[in-house]
Amino acid sequence: MNQNISFLLNNTAVNSELNPATVTLDFLRSCKLTGAKEGCKEGDCGACTVICGSLENDKLIYRTVNSCLVPVMNIHGSHIVTIEGLNLNKSQLSPVQSSFVIEGASQCGFCTPGFIVSLTAYFLTSDKLKNKNILDFIDGNVCRCTGHSSIIRAAGNLQNEFENAPDDFDKRLFYLVDKNIIPEYFLKVKEKLNDLHIVLTDSNISDMPDYYVGGGTDLFVQKPDEMLSSSLSFIFKKNNPDTIYEDDGFCCVSASATVTDILDSVLIKKLFPDINGFSELFGSTPIRNNATLGGNINNASPIGDMTAFFLSLDSDVILSENTSERTVSLKDYFVSYKKTVRSRGEILKYVRFKLPQSKYFFNFEKVSKRTYLDIATVNTALYLESENDYINKINISAGGVFETPKFLSLTSEYLTGKNINAATIREAVRIAGTEISPISDARGSESYKRLLLSRLIYAHFIKLFPELISIKETV
Amino acid sequence: MKDYDIIQHITGRSLFIDDIIVPEGTLYAKVFYSKCAHGKILSLDLTEAYSIKGVIKIFTYKDIPGINQIGGIVRDECLLAENEVHYIGMPVALVIAESRFIASEASKKILIKYEGLPVITDPREAFALGHLSIPPRIFESGNVEDVWDKCDIIESGKCESGGQEHLYLETQGALSCPLEGGSIKVISSTQGPSAVQKVVSEVLGISKNKIEVEVTRLGGGFGGKEDQASPWAALSALAAFLLNKPVKLILSRHDDMIMTGKRNPYSSDFKIGLNSEGLILAYEVTFYQNSGASADLSPAILDRSLFHCTNSYYIPNVKATGYCCRTNLAPNTAFRGFGGPQGMFVIESAVYIAAVKMNIAPDIIQRKNLLKEDDHFHYGQKAVNVMTGISWDKAEKDFELPEVINKIRQFNSVNSLSKKGYAYMPICFGIAFTTTRMNQANALVNVYTDGSVGFSTAAVEMGQGVNAKIREVISRVFSVSHDKIKNEPTNTTRSANTSPTAASSGADMNCNAVLIACNNILGRLLNSAADDLSLKNSIGLFIKDEKVFLNENDTGLSWDTIVENAYSKRISLCDYAHYSTPELFFDRDSNKGNPFRYHVYGTAFIEVTVDCLRGIYKIDSVKAVHDFGHSLNPVIDLGQAEGALMQGLGWMTIEEIMHDKKGKLLTDLLSTYKVPDLHFTPAEVNIQFLDKPNPVGIFNSKAIGEPPLMYGIGAYFAIMNAVREFNTDAAPEFSAPFTPEKVLLKLYENTFAEEALSTAVNNSDNKSK
Repeated sequence: MNQNISFLLNNTAVNSELNPATVTLDFLRSCKLTGAKEGCKEGDCGACTVICGSLENDKLIYRTVNSCLVPVMNIHGSHIVTIEGLNLNKSQLSPVQSSFVIEGASQCGFCTPGFIVSLTAYFLTSDKLKNKNILDFIDGNVCRCTGHSSIIRAAGNLQNEFENAPDDFDKRLFYLVDKNIIPEYFLKVKEKLNDLHIVLTDSNISDMPDYYVGGGTDLFVQKPDEMLSSSLSFIFKKNNPDTIYEDDGFCCVSASATVTDILDSVLIKKLFPDINGFSELFGSTPIRNNATLGGNINNASPIGDMTAFFLSLDSDVILSENTSERTVSLKDYFVSYKKTVRSRGEILKYVRFKLPQSKYFFNFEKVSKRTYLDIATVNTALYLESENDYINKINISAGGVFETPKFLSLTSEYLTGKNINAATIREAVRIAGTEISPISDARGSESYKRLLLSRLIYAHFIKLFPELISIKETV
Repeated sequence: MKDYDIIQHITGRSLFIDDIIVPEGTLYAKVFYSKCAHGKILSLDLTEAYSIKGVIKIFTYKDIPGINQIGGIVRDECLLAENEVHYIGMPVALVIAESRFIASEASKKILIKYEGLPVITDPREAFALGHLSIPPRIFESGNVEDVWDKCDIIESGKCESGGQEHLYLETQGALSCPLEGGSIKVISSTQGPSAVQKVVSEVLGISKNKIEVEVTRLGGGFGGKEDQASPWAALSALAAFLLNKPVKLILSRHDDMIMTGKRNPYSSDFKIGLNSEGLILAYEVTFYQNSGASADLSPAILDRSLFHCTNSYYIPNVKATGYCCRTNLAPNTAFRGFGGPQGMFVIESAVYIAAVKMNIAPDIIQRKNLLKEDDHFHYGQKAVNVMTGISWDKAEKDFELPEVINKIRQFNSVNSLSKKGYAYMPICFGIAFTTTRMNQANALVNVYTDGSVGFSTAAVEMGQGVNAKIREVISRVFSVSHDKIKNEPTNTTRSANTSPTAASSGADMNCNAVLIACNNILGRLLNSAADDLSLKNSIGLFIKDEKVFLNENDTGLSWDTIVENAYSKRISLCDYAHYSTPELFFDRDSNKGNPFRYHVYGTAFIEVTVDCLRGIYKIDSVKAVHDFGHSLNPVIDLGQAEGALMQGLGWMTIEEIMHDKKGKLLTDLLSTYKVPDLHFTPAEVNIQFLDKPNPVGIFNSKAIGEPPLMYGIGAYFAIMNAVREFNTDAAPEFSAPFTPEKVLLKLYENTFAEEALSTAVNNSDNKSK
């Protein structure tokens, strides 16, 4: 079962025979690197956050990960930075650390290493710093003591203090070393990773594994123990270097694309200019960095956010087995609770949807108990092609209201060819109520979910067409 | 402030229990717990679990050498279930194995059969059946019955407040190591080392002097580790003692959430009477406290609800009744505020509904009835150095609240998709353990011959900065810099018979004990210095910046030299001191007395925006004027205030504990139980220091841990106001937390949208998760 795993751990090369499904947090702590803490083991607290750097097209890309959910196989060939790796010179604090001292941003200290690591990762982003909000980098970290106010102040001070950091990544590394934000060994990381001589290959996909493992953010929450004794095929970031592309009138998204890949994609941003308005509602930064589209769809949870998104785009999924491929409409992909049409040997290759040909509108709505870093109570996405107020084409998806992710076919059908006004939408909401069957659970009662979906359908239209429908007309 | 602890934290070097390098041969424990909320155990089969390689031993109650009893206030709680189980999560057996993983796998193989008994989760139902842990408690002043007739307005109603998960980021745990001679050392993540020592002593049947309990720090406590750290310490100690091997027990998050108690949910009835001017004449309240399956600390928590049932208001006639109702949930326990928040939420609800009835803003009633100097609380204590009106008026003026309120009104007049609401929230919280005998602490201060200082007290550090405050006291008395002062872990061999670090009193009491010890040492050092200087006595001698002065003149002696000289003269450089909080008494029959050393006051103003389409909301700002006294450490105190506030806001809004009818916790993971995150934090949290001296506080300071939590209560009423701006037909209702679900349902209560829904097709056979 064990496999050889090699990676750079802070400034030290590690080469170990490990069960590939061992989560990185357990490995680190077994090495007496106890700065990363186990707070929840489900990616919901961020106390175990570490930075993962990987070579992609000879570029070093750093991202934060929840080490409690990342199997060591997924860090093979990577650079892992833990809190211990930030202070190799023990006497000197980094500015990130000093900012916490000044603001008293650490109380009990249990969550603190995760925050320090995540804030340090802000400086290592491959994007320009001014394009990023430092607070987004700690959206996956929870502190129970401070109420976050002091942490927000510390982060704000950091963003201001280093706003002149170079945009160019290589130049920035020197700057960061100079400012003591990262230790000097970071300058040699690329070299050292190349020295590991790792060739990342696809696992043999014909060996019928029990599970294909993408980013692991669902599987390792649900069945970490089972993973240790299952046959696994690890497919994270290993097939398509260009994960999102245009092809023959379609937008194609590789199943291995992470949520971050999708949100950062130039093509997706062009198609959905408002995507930044709701992208933060999907998980947290470290989860988005690891969760793949394929995983989100195949987990088949009725409340998958990306699933709702792609469902409204009337997407197809392309499955392959050995040399054969088949295309299934995403609408038909889910058969019952957490079940899909995919057979065990099949692998989801990519998802595609037709590029819009005429004027279109898109909106995504999600409500959860906590607005951010939470699983949806109800989510819904809407894609609409219209001229003036006349609907030529419309697709509405909804999550959390049925045993599978739901394409609201009756509702969409009804709205096609209608004019947008309060009476029409009211009828659409009524029809939507007939094609869902939510249940009461920890996320909300049945009647709440019904009311919520109806309000979110109104929200789609009020947000996109405020001149055609007002909230007063909906009560 | 470069504090020792924070440097360890930010570099990842702080050692929590799970980080300690364990001795060779350490075994790992996993608790097997009941999956049935109430039932008889018919059989327990360990055979299959024992067949797993690496399983060393599985303990049940039969293996306990001492007594199987851990109840603190009431002797009603087993460590391991005997013939019956009383809640889901009740420990039944303890699996010991070579690794945490094996122990966990083996526990899944234990077979248990139950015969189900009726499950009660509702405190009123428990009350109706007479399931009370202690006799009813009644606090009374004046006579409400005589006054109702004189009231112009009488309102009564019902009020619910939910439980709250502590969610300390470090789960419960302990590491126990056998020592020679049948003694044992327990490293525990507890707020109460002496409580752990007592429980371990009773369970093992050995005397307390054979049990050493040590605590370096906690990864958060919030009350959850006051009494409820003890079972895990006792279980690991039991195994370590019987197997003669070190045993570590760390709860997984899921196990912790299922097995440990939370803030007590309350269901309450209230009746309030006012005159036409808005003056409150009478208030009657009955608290049905959900204590869970055993009393734990619930009786003491209930008392604090009764003490704080009038919050910051003077009410001449009060009758408050409390029932500690036993249910089939995990025993509920201390949580920051300790019953105070539950009591205050009810009076605030009563004031709100009275204001609605009178068609005035609640703040008019709130302001008019604020406590004044020399008013008496309903438990007989006189209010002194009262800061209610002062903090209210300062908040109003400094934050320009009338202007803010105008802007809110303007916003609401032009916006239909979202509405704003606001609320004032004054607080008043008594400082001391209401169980008088617990108000004592002790401290050991060692000055070493090189002038460095070490201290060890009863206080447990859990992020509240108590050690930094103690260091400040030592630094002020000895005039030495903070980096010369080191804290030692809290340890029962150095500080015996201590009270838990709780009730916001940890800093007050332990700083005072340290102050006594330091003054004793300094007295000896200055006498010795007087001798060195050939003075008759030490009058006029003092130390500043590590130099000894006589009146205003530098004597040439330094801290280091007087320390060294004193040692040479065989004068003790160490001191152990005990402090007991003075002037406390309380008669538990009449429920009158002077239970608190002083009170902490303040006023907050909370502003929220409700998204009326989606039912979600944002707390825009919290502005407060808080009575810190003269803060010993403003960075720490501000952090405590901000952190407590956020827990209060969470309790009132998104933190929702849910059980099904069978007593199963539905919100048993961080994916279903949501605490405030970064985005939840209001854009503006502005807490101003009132900075008035507290003559009975250490260096004029005041306790800080709990009081600001109760500012969060205002969020409930701010949201209610915003909702009622949108839906004027929505009836005020008092059921916290005010989740987005309740908000949306309230926004559309009695509207077409709600009616349309009730006619919707309903086929709820399918799953949706």
